[in-house]
Amino acid sequence: MLDWKIHPSFSRLVFELGKLPGIGKKTATRLALFILRQSSGDAESLAAAIREVKERTRFCSICFHYTEQDPCQLCTDPARDSEYLCVVQEPQDLLVVERSRSFRGRYHILHGALSPLDGIGPEQLKIAELMIRLEQGSVREVLLATNFSVEGEATAHYLAGLIRPLGIRVSRLAHGIPLGSDLEYVDEATVNRAVEGRQFLTE
Amino acid sequence: MRQEESEAIVLHHLDYNDADRIVSFFSLEQGLLKGFAHNARKSRKRFGSALELFAYVHLRWSGKASGDLVSLQDAELIDLHSGVRRDVGALALASYGCELVEALTAEAQSCPEIFHLLRAFLGHLSKAGLSLEARLLFELRLFSQLGYAPHFLHCSACNFPLDGDEVAFSANGGGGLCLECAPAALPLRVSPMTLGTLGRCLQAPVTLFEGFRFSERTLQEAGGVLQDILRQHLVRPLKSQSFMEQMLAGKARVKAIR
Ligand SMILES: [Zn+2]
Ligand SMILES: [Zn+2]
Repeated sequence: MLDWKIHPSFSRLVFELGKLPGIGKKTATRLALFILRQSSGDAESLAAAIREVKERTRFCSICFHYTEQDPCQLCTDPARDSEYLCVVQEPQDLLVVERSRSFRGRYHILHGALSPLDGIGPEQLKIAELMIRLEQGSVREVLLATNFSVEGEATAHYLAGLIRPLGIRVSRLAHGIPLGSDLEYVDEATVNRAVEGRQFLTE
Repeated sequence: MRQEESEAIVLHHLDYNDADRIVSFFSLEQGLLKGFAHNARKSRKRFGSALELFAYVHLRWSGKASGDLVSLQDAELIDLHSGVRRDVGALALASYGCELVEALTAEAQSCPEIFHLLRAFLGHLSKAGLSLEARLLFELRLFSQLGYAPHFLHCSACNFPLDGDEVAFSANGGGGLCLECAPAALPLRVSPMTLGTLGRCLQAPVTLFEGFRFSERTLQEAGGVLQDILRQHLVRPLKSQSFMEQMLAGKARVKAIR
């Protein structure tokens, strides 16, 4: 093992890698050793890729998703239906909805949820931008796809209160039993919601 | 390692690593504790939705796992207080209440009265939403349980009953002060009726939140008095305070328009 005291550049790399989510010191050391073994070309292209993504990526000025061109592809795609808008907390939530192939409207990313314990109020989120967009636009239905945590749910109710007076329909993701799961293993609160939100079977 | 269990209320949680969660909770048996819930975010088997914010749960844990953290074994949900999820004002005040309890109580010191107070407070917010009255009653009762309640009915300096149109208040000086004893520079002036109301509220059961109505003046003055007490004991400002005050101000505006 390299001694970090006599290899400050190596320990710096371990330190930086260790900041990545889910990477502990052990994994960071393993990754750093891997990079050290790589050819200069490979290591250089990794560094260049990190630099480039930071230089070229910014937020779309309409939906606040990451993009290299503003407005982003989702906002400019003529095949998408501008009457439907899906509101999510984070960019990764947009990716999840997109992967489901169930939604063909447009998006708005809040970049968080109302969270008093973290000092996050309406001004810290892209809520004013959402309201301006709704007042100007052609949206007829907003689908609130925030998380089902306390903060995500309260944010959805808060937004619904702001949006409804504009005469726009507001919907919320359904909540219930995960597909493919046995009822036996589902927690009480989820079963409770699933019973409350039950649906009639029609032919 | 000794197995412990208690009813508890989830005050706060932090995500840790990829799947773990660190949870602050206030337990009936041992007061404020912090616990480590291994794999709580990926596997729902042991905790289900019981580690959600403000949840009233039955928790099981074993001794100190590492440092100050107990190791959480499993949890059973008793009441999610789900009304708080439908009302951002209630969320704001519930967060403030939980942050206050976490900031002011010492770890591992049993105080069943505070547990019952917090549980009733969250239950009330879940049903009735936020109100200045609820905030005031919660703060007052919490301070009283912590031994911070000052003199409301008598002058803290000369012990004479407080009366007249106006008296002074200083948490630092022990509470209410008659105008003869109060230094002229003391800024906080209130009606002795406000202090009397606060004193009387302490006679009611800690779990009772329904049916209290205060005048605009009482609410405003009592708010100032309680903030003065709070400033004496708080080491750093609460994160949830400004958000909650925005929500209360918004509600007051709506009320005024109607
Ligand atoms: Zn966009
Ligand atoms: Zn006096």
